[in-house]
Amino acid sequence: MNLKIFSPKDFPAYLPKLNSLYDDLFAGGKGFRSKLVQMVSNPLVLPAETQQLLCQTIEFVHNASLLHDDLIDRSQLRRGKPAAWAKYTPEYAVLAGDYLLARVMVNLSSFGNIKLVQFTSETISDLLEGEWLQDSVVGDFFVSLEQLDRIHNLKTASLFKWCLRAPFMAAGNNDEELHRTLDEMGTILGQLFQRSDDLLDYDIRNDEGKAILGDLKSGYLNSFGAFVTRDMTRAQIDQMVKSSDLNEYYQCFAGGEKEFQSYVQKFDAVNEKMIQLYDHHLIQLEKKIQKPELIKSLKPLTEILYWRRKPKA
Amino acid sequence: MSTFITLKKKDSDFQNYLWGKFSKTQIALPMATMNLDSPEETVTFEIVDKSLVKRPSGFKIFLSLIKFQNLFLILLPLFYVLVKNYVDNRFRDPQTCLIATFAMLFIFAALNIRNDVNDHVSGYDRVNISPSEKPINKGWITAAQASAMSWLLTLIAMIISLPVMLRQPEEARVIAVVIVLIFAGRLLSKNSYKNQRWGEVIFFILAGPGVVSGYQVALGAGVDTEVLAFGILWAWGIQFLVHLNNFNHILTSSQAGIKNTMTNAGFDKAKKILIGWWCAFIVLWVLYHYFYASTFWSYLTTVVLIFWSIPTFIKVSEIQSPLGSDLTDAKRVGYRNFLLMCVLIVIEFYWYLGNKNDWFVV
Repeated sequence: MNLKIFSPKDFPAYLPKLNSLYDDLFAGGKGFRSKLVQMVSNPLVLPAETQQLLCQTIEFVHNASLLHDDLIDRSQLRRGKPAAWAKYTPEYAVLAGDYLLARVMVNLSSFGNIKLVQFTSETISDLLEGEWLQDSVVGDFFVSLEQLDRIHNLKTASLFKWCLRAPFMAAGNNDEELHRTLDEMGTILGQLFQRSDDLLDYDIRNDEGKAILGDLKSGYLNSFGAFVTRDMTRAQIDQMVKSSDLNEYYQCFAGGEKEFQSYVQKFDAVNEKMIQLYDHHLIQLEKKIQKPELIKSLKPLTEILYWRRKPKA
Repeated sequence: MSTFITLKKKDSDFQNYLWGKFSKTQIALPMATMNLDSPEETVTFEIVDKSLVKRPSGFKIFLSLIKFQNLFLILLPLFYVLVKNYVDNRFRDPQTCLIATFAMLFIFAALNIRNDVNDHVSGYDRVNISPSEKPINKGWITAAQASAMSWLLTLIAMIISLPVMLRQPEEARVIAVVIVLIFAGRLLSKNSYKNQRWGEVIFFILAGPGVVSGYQVALGAGVDTEVLAFGILWAWGIQFLVHLNNFNHILTSSQAGIKNTMTNAGFDKAKKILIGWWCAFIVLWVLYHYFYASTFWSYLTTVVLIFWSIPTFIKVSEIQSPLGSDLTDAKRVGYRNFLLMCVLIVIEFYWYLGNKNDWFVV
């Protein structure tokens, strides 16, 4: 099903710059989260308009977070184009993000599923908490991986959990055990996605050409950075912070690039165990619901999200 | 390839896996927990062959279980009581005091192991991940084995304390009060004495006035206001460490619904409480010295203590996030501050001891 997430008709045309801001924002996104929602919704045979609502909800929430995120991080670019706060004004960026979240609540409350409204509100709360916490650790190059996981669980994984659980809620299935399993799976997917995204910063499996060492230069030690620094001395960390490119970064390791690569392998091994845990939960899910096509489509997600490769046929 | 199993609290096997009783050759390590401390609690365990778990020596595991590094928390009050009563010429029954010390060491070890077992069973250690190595979490020992060890040490402590009670009957009253408080604490606090408001009060009484009174009575000297004043001062200091530790876990504890002074206060107020708590400690220190110590040591130790406390105040006030390395730094500096305070006590009381024995007269 081909969904149109953003339509100018959804927003008042009399507000200056609002629709052009949204045009810029929604153009170019991969829409992975709405695809995930569809992946879960299709086997549940949700009506097209419900799927549309769910996909729009998750993309609105996600894009609202991007509008705010770019301003907080002072990121100049979003998807290769000037970020909204830089192109328009910071005030418009904040208001446009708030407007999207308000729209989500209007649309969902019209749908009339109070559990879904509550869950979505909790997800937005988690997202904001994660953003707040992340901002509080900027410039902290001694933060631990476990601490970052807490942030990523709120900021990134909350949306993945929503994608897996919301279609079941919309279908009226509120079975607690089922939702616990989906919650665990969403947490793992979010963590894997974030960790893989963090590896791009070090040019690992970076097919999309993400800026190298962008997080580090913004004063943010990401998950792979935290994994590596726990074995580093203070002098090594000080040197790492000053790295302007990967070659300089490799020099922080006694063994140079070779040692860096061995850390990547160790990091992959840690995450491989998380993938095994995901597979375990998938088996639990299979026992709870008789939807083989859903299990089949959820199975390769770790391959796509962490390893960033197309699943084997 | 790892093997996992997900169990709900109401599942018949849940407790067997949590306590490590489900197999003789395998161990279950909790990987993820949902709905902690509720009837719906669900834990996913990783099943690992015992032979594959890398264990340090049994001795190291034991030291880690009993928290050997914290032994000074009961030995320093002993040093205080011994010196104070020696100086006051009330050193009446040193043999009984020695026996009581052994009993105290065993009960301290037993309670520390019990603390780890409780944290494991309640799930507290899965929420608040500690950077220190926890033998049960690492799979070095099962919760059931640790619990058995704790009971054994408790039993030994009880047997050892019998002659103490026979020789100093007043000790029975102190032990009775301590036992009542321990059981009241267990009934009140689901997680541990550190994590409930009333639990904190009970911990305060046990860690300070309880310990010094026990030693003092065992020595045949009877409880007096000076020893109680020191007990309160000591407990106040230890409670500072507890608050500091709880502040380190303020985010995760709050998310898990764990109640203590720090989570109730919230991040910003908790920082003020920590600073205020240590300021109050300095005031108590001044008061104790004003009433019971020499003027020279009152001035000297207070000035040194205030000087040493400045980094703690700065570190705590500079913490910007309920996550991150600032918290660990502040905890380290606060702990070091506490240790330096202990060093001051040792030097000061060593001086009283030397003064009594004319060690310093040439």
